[in-house]
Amino acid sequence: MSDQTLSNSAGDTGDSASTSQVRIQLSTRHPDIALPENPGPILVNTNLRRYALSTLVNALLQSEKPIPFEFLINGTFLRTTLDQYLTANGISAEITLNVEYVRAIIPPVYLASF
Amino acid sequence: TTHIESIREQPPRSEEEARRLWSHYDDMTRNLSISLTEQLRLILAPTLATKMRGDFRTGKRLNMKRIIPYIASQYKRDKIWMRRSIPSKRNYQIMLAVDDSKSMGESGSGQLAFETLALVANSLTMLEAGEISVVGFGNEVKVAHDFGRPFTNEAGAQIVQHFTFQQTGTNVRELVAQSIMLFREARSKNINAGTDLWQLELIISDGLCEDHDSIRRLVRQAQEERIMIVFVIIDALVKGQSIMNMSQAMFDSDGGGVRIERYLDGFPFQYYLIVGDVRELPGVLAQALRQWFSEVVESG
Ligand SMILES: [Mg+2]
Repeated sequence: MSDQTLSNSAGDTGDSASTSQVRIQLSTRHPDIALPENPGPILVNTNLRRYALSTLVNALLQSEKPIPFEFLINGTFLRTTLDQYLTANGISAEITLNVEYVRAIIPPVYLASF
Repeated sequence: TTHIESIREQPPRSEEEARRLWSHYDDMTRNLSISLTEQLRLILAPTLATKMRGDFRTGKRLNMKRIIPYIASQYKRDKIWMRRSIPSKRNYQIMLAVDDSKSMGESGSGQLAFETLALVANSLTMLEAGEISVVGFGNEVKVAHDFGRPFTNEAGAQIVQHFTFQQTGTNVRELVAQSIMLFREARSKNINAGTDLWQLELIISDGLCEDHDSIRRLVRQAQEERIMIVFVIIDALVKGQSIMNMSQAMFDSDGGGVRIERYLDGFPFQYYLIVGDVRELPGVLAQALRQWFSEVVESG
């Protein structure tokens, strides 16, 4: 075995901060905001929150004026990142997450900046 | 008919259960194994590598590239003939890496993975082409069968015991990194020293993995060490969830825009095939291997 083989560790890929991912299946009960065609499962980073998911749905809808959306997973509104949701509910990122979206009724809350 | 309960409901299974499962998959894939063996026999036969090579004073065919230097050297450089090179004896180390993560159980891909494992392991054993190893991966990589140990029915049953498709992560990057290490070790222990050793890894998985950039780098490194990796994607049996329809959403770092790409467009493995039915496997696998072996023979 050459020196190079010995010194060259295959495990060394650098400590890239890799975010984990999860598959989501988007759906809605409201025909007016339904996706034109079922996009199938979409792989997203688990660090996403409501706002990013809203951006995603608007992109899929190709809406000219973005519509704010809220997201429901297993009947509860997503108020954290997907990752925090999965952890809090003991769900592994190995499954496809069914995510339902509705129009946001309450306008986005702005925190006063001091 | 035999009734095999869904894999996902099985806790770590008993020896008896594992033996029953293995013999079930063994029976199921017997004819396919024979067909794959026959196809592989043709591909792996070392005679295929026979090429005419230069440079000799006598031989069978003229090496045209040597003619002009021959004349220019006033007929001094007279090694202008090629001979049929004697095919070097090759032996193989083939690693089957089976995805043991939960997504495999969720989609019902686990059964198909076992069928694939039985099919491929049995044909390679029939071929007597070399050593076989089996590893499982999920959160971590576990060796279920070492290189150098004969692959028997008993070994098959023991391997089945290792898999539950319950691991809560799919670390493909770690798998490739560990595989490179395992192949290095196996290369150093190879009993047929001096022969041409070919190392091949078949990853059997549903194809869902993250950290594509790191994986791509490792795959390149494996290639540099002459380790060939073929990714066999067991496609979801769940309707509408085929990996071919799956997309990936990528956000700009400022959170402003989003790009939606086809998942497979960013897939980090150069050689992959998609199988939805084990019966397709002998054909597609043989085709992929034929392509690879011919590329390696040409570059060698
Ligand atoms: Mg998985």
